[in-house]
Amino acid sequence: MSVPAALISRHFAGVPFASWAFGIRVWIAVVVALYAGFWLELESPLSAAITVGILAVPTRGQALEKAGFRFLGTVIGVVASIALIGSLSQARDLFLLAFAAWVGLCVYVACLSDGFRAYGAVLSGYTVALVAIQMIDTPGQVFDFGMQRGAAIALGIAAIAVVNDLLVAPDRHVELAAQLAAIHRRLRDHAEAVMRGEATDPGSIAGLLRETAALRSEITSLVTESSSGLARSTAARSTAVSLVAGIHAVRVVQALPGDVDLAARDWALSELRRRDHDVGEGLAALRSGARPARPWRTPFYFCHRLAAEAGVRAAIWLSLASAFFVLTGWSAAEASLVQLTAFIGLGVISPNPRAFTIGALIAAPIAAILAGALDFLILDGVTEFPLLALALAPFMIGAAVLTTLPNQVLAGIGRLNLIFILVIAGLSNPQTYNPEAFLDSSLFVCLAPALLLAAQLLIPPVSDERRRQQLIAAARREIDQLSSGRMQRYTPEEAMFRDAVRICQIAGTGVPGPQQRVVLEEALTLFDQAAIIRLSDASLRGLPDGPLASLADQARKAVSRRDVQSIRRAATDIEQAAPEDARARAASGALQVASLVMEEKVP
Amino acid sequence: MTHPFRELVAGGVLVAPFVTYAVAALVMFLILRPILRLSGFAQLFSHPSIAELSVYVTILGLLTTLF
Repeated sequence: MSVPAALISRHFAGVPFASWAFGIRVWIAVVVALYAGFWLELESPLSAAITVGILAVPTRGQALEKAGFRFLGTVIGVVASIALIGSLSQARDLFLLAFAAWVGLCVYVACLSDGFRAYGAVLSGYTVALVAIQMIDTPGQVFDFGMQRGAAIALGIAAIAVVNDLLVAPDRHVELAAQLAAIHRRLRDHAEAVMRGEATDPGSIAGLLRETAALRSEITSLVTESSSGLARSTAARSTAVSLVAGIHAVRVVQALPGDVDLAARDWALSELRRRDHDVGEGLAALRSGARPARPWRTPFYFCHRLAAEAGVRAAIWLSLASAFFVLTGWSAAEASLVQLTAFIGLGVISPNPRAFTIGALIAAPIAAILAGALDFLILDGVTEFPLLALALAPFMIGAAVLTTLPNQVLAGIGRLNLIFILVIAGLSNPQTYNPEAFLDSSLFVCLAPALLLAAQLLIPPVSDERRRQQLIAAARREIDQLSSGRMQRYTPEEAMFRDAVRICQIAGTGVPGPQQRVVLEEALTLFDQAAIIRLSDASLRGLPDGPLASLADQARKAVSRRDVQSIRRAATDIEQAAPEDARARAASGALQVASLVMEEKVP
Repeated sequence: MTHPFRELVAGGVLVAPFVTYAVAALVMFLILRPILRLSGFAQLFSHPSIAELSVYVTILGLLTTLF
């Protein structure tokens, strides 16, 4: 049973009830994790509470998916820590270099994926900082420390999972279905306007493409939501892929001239109807929890070169910071290096690494002040757990509610504060209330983003301009490979979705402006051409053997040369060879549309 | 009545019996999930998440009691 709509729409202090409920769930889970950690006498019960802070996402499935990748990332990180400490603990400089290389490798892997998978990859990198760097002076205890950390993380995961289940955290599929249905509605409105011959905004359809592709990582999270999660995730994938194919179909219809051949118009309109029907079926399957008739994958586009560049930069930033700390000779500097490594990893998987560092630089002093208020004004020597639980409430609920705000800056500050407050307050059993330890941890938490920002000013992150250039160059290369008959890993629809992910990445580079608009228009034109090449190839494959097979071969060669006149001739030949055959008519229509789309000049 | 709990030894590392039971229950629950979906388990309850958590706790309890 879902939460009544009237309750969802109600607000308290300008914030929806759902956000307050989320904040209360996070606070309860933090308290449960801390209590269980104290009761089990874990070495670092704080890690369990921090895990809850990190896994604080509003829906159940997302929290569980992130938890899975957090656990897996920790296991890989602990194994890497043992390997690094075991082999290089006697050679500190080499150890730091190997550590920087490992973090660079993890950042590279993170850039090849999205969502919580990327988070898991960067976590494997900074777990080495948490385990190996902290244990650099006592290498014999690295295994025990790693096990303790694993236990604390498992406890944090169990706390948030149980609290989310018992307090009925919302399911993501309900909102996701509503989002996909809204995109479908807007696509239909756009298609109807195109059919009526009205002028439409080309930017709006590009927006639909980006919005659909951006839902990819959230679709993956449905798997962990419930027993019907896998079926719903498959249905949501199929719906998203059908939507992207539908957007392409609308763009094709829009591009048809008034005097176009009847076969071409029939093919384009039948594609539009087919995609609309597929989206409807997918949405129905998503809502009912059934498997869709056509399960499609949602491949992710990644650029190896950009990922490698990000990885190398991360390794250099870390090397510079390590060199700084070695030169200063501070004995407690490893705490700052741990934070810095985490900021590098988390920044790289955010849209703008430098903006993330600046956000951390703003959030760290705020968290230090709040943690100071918690330790020395509110608790002030208290040792009873119920009082600690009550004192944590405003900080945890407030930070969690901030994360749900639409303002991205405030949401980011809330997310970082949820973790920083716990880190700086240094909750332990019994609580020590040591002002010197508090000042040390505050200083190092604030120093980490400042130092990282300095390193990023010295060696800037991959620029938006370069990312745009690389992504568009990759799109051009793929068109050439398609023409030469390569790149057949995915069905035409899946490949369209992958191209839409790339368009989403291009749109995410920098602020919208004339330069970005030109690149986006080119990306959309290349998307149209790649899609129609794949679709016409698929319709040619559907032709029966016999005389049509040799004509299909000729058509395929014409498409691979992107020779518009030859494609048109091949289309006419196929239609004349079998005028009664529906498949031949469809292939002829697809080829004629392909010739029209290929005539479009890349801006 | 209680029965002795055996610790799992993996490469010289002792794993607490409860951890073994919790992981085994999780594996069994994951295997059971497709059956739950096919049987329409989620539709039987107003709060399927609590019902699924209860199934997990039941498996864990049975494992702890019987083995």
